[in-house]
Amino acid sequence: MRFVIYSIKQAMANLLRNKVVNLLCLGIIAFTLLVPGIFNYISFNLERYIDKLSENVEAIFYIKDDSDNGAIEKLMQRMQANLLVKEVGFTSRDQAKANFSREFPELKYILSEFNYSPFPASIDVKFQSDARNLIQVESFVRDIKNAANVESVQLNMDWARKIAMIKKFTTFAGLFLSAILLIVSIFIIFNVVKINIFYRRDEINILRLVGASDWYIKTPFLIEGFVLGFLGGLLAGGLLLATIKAFPLYAGFVFNIIKQLIDFRQLPQKIFWQLLVTGTAIGLFSSFISLRRFIKQTPG
Amino acid sequence: MIQFFHVSKEYFRNEALSDINLAIARGEFVFLTGASGAGKSTLLKLIYKEEEPSKGQILIDSVNSTLIPAKKLFKLRRQIGIVFQDFKLLMNRTVHENVAIPLRVRGEKQADIEKKVNNALALVGLTYRKRYLTGHISGGEQQRVAIARAIIGNPKILIADEPTGNLDTNLSIEIIKIFERINANGITTIIATHDLNLMSLFPKRTIKLDKGQLVQDKRVEANP
Repeated sequence: MRFVIYSIKQAMANLLRNKVVNLLCLGIIAFTLLVPGIFNYISFNLERYIDKLSENVEAIFYIKDDSDNGAIEKLMQRMQANLLVKEVGFTSRDQAKANFSREFPELKYILSEFNYSPFPASIDVKFQSDARNLIQVESFVRDIKNAANVESVQLNMDWARKIAMIKKFTTFAGLFLSAILLIVSIFIIFNVVKINIFYRRDEINILRLVGASDWYIKTPFLIEGFVLGFLGGLLAGGLLLATIKAFPLYAGFVFNIIKQLIDFRQLPQKIFWQLLVTGTAIGLFSSFISLRRFIKQTPG
Repeated sequence: MIQFFHVSKEYFRNEALSDINLAIARGEFVFLTGASGAGKSTLLKLIYKEEEPSKGQILIDSVNSTLIPAKKLFKLRRQIGIVFQDFKLLMNRTVHENVAIPLRVRGEKQADIEKKVNNALALVGLTYRKRYLTGHISGGEQQRVAIARAIIGNPKILIADEPTGNLDTNLSIEIIKIFERINANGITTIIATHDLNLMSLFPKRTIKLDKGQLVQDKRVEANP
């Protein structure tokens, strides 16, 4: 316990001793975490939006006029068997005519010229809400479209596909930038700890000569890295929240387009924890490798 | 007991110590002498393992120190009190803080630290400087702080490298008397010095080095 208290005291003293360097380091860590945080946030929202779109994905398969009831029944059973499908409904030609009359009463007079229904019969398919993989949905639709009784298909997934592509790009760009910035972060903390070790090198040397164990010497520096990383993550979370809150204020009309895709009201807890854990891990890792190098270089 | 078996030390192919064979019994008081560059400091550094021998074996209490891994080195160092030639004190800390360091690294209780620091400072006659910053006291007083720090952990071996180098004769005698008092408690004491006048005042075993070789080992006969 005494050792832990000593280590925390030493770490805090180090942090306060080199205030400017440590504040600068904190700012850089926060910034390097903020950028991946923003990408992560956008990606998170796009994924949620895609999920919402997937919930409403519906396909209408128009049936050829000469199809018999048995063939249609078989086709419906085949559709129902697919795990992606939530609900399969049949709309006969007469029902389609009735639906049209109900939905467009002002155009009802057009139908009076027909003594039969001009609309084809259709099978309406609703997909499961967890059928998020749009590629699978498309593949299913393509498959059914080739069936003998299907005339054509109505499925508008262009919008969802485009968003999925943007999401993919955002995730990729986010990961790429994150990797670069995390390396930068590690490099910075590594050097800050190195500076602090250099500043205390005489004391460390004395401690070793009077019988301090390696852990006694290392722990305060590890705590220092931990605190820097943790605070950096916390600051990045705060900055991300501020960015999210402030965005509607400065984005003007662009906001109206984007707000459909991105929820600017809150910062998901998952992203906040990710920033905190990543920051802390970076801090610990960087100070650990910095110390390992120092201990190796000075075997005395 | 400290034993050297055919120990040599080279620095970039320059031999600092050559084929040293030596045994120092527990509780012995030994002066290590020789001109500057004779190898005194190197020999002491080999004992507390700040340096590794190029050849040979060193046994400390029958443990081959050359085989102690770096991670376990602190265990050896806790058995040895060292007074460095340049003191190695933290000048921006108080006398009390400097003396307490060996106990803090051992994780001793604050109350025990207080008691032991007071005893060590009393032994070297420095109680009145306890709360002073080490950088604000004289060279002789700093020397005594270094001695207090070396003995506070109750070591088995006390090593001092030129502990009277910067002191006047009276103060030097006073310092050696402190070492005698410490040695009287059974602590093996090895003092490196080139001050022949000082050594003549204290008839002790004297090991002389010259250009890295042990040239004389003069033992003092016990009084009948």
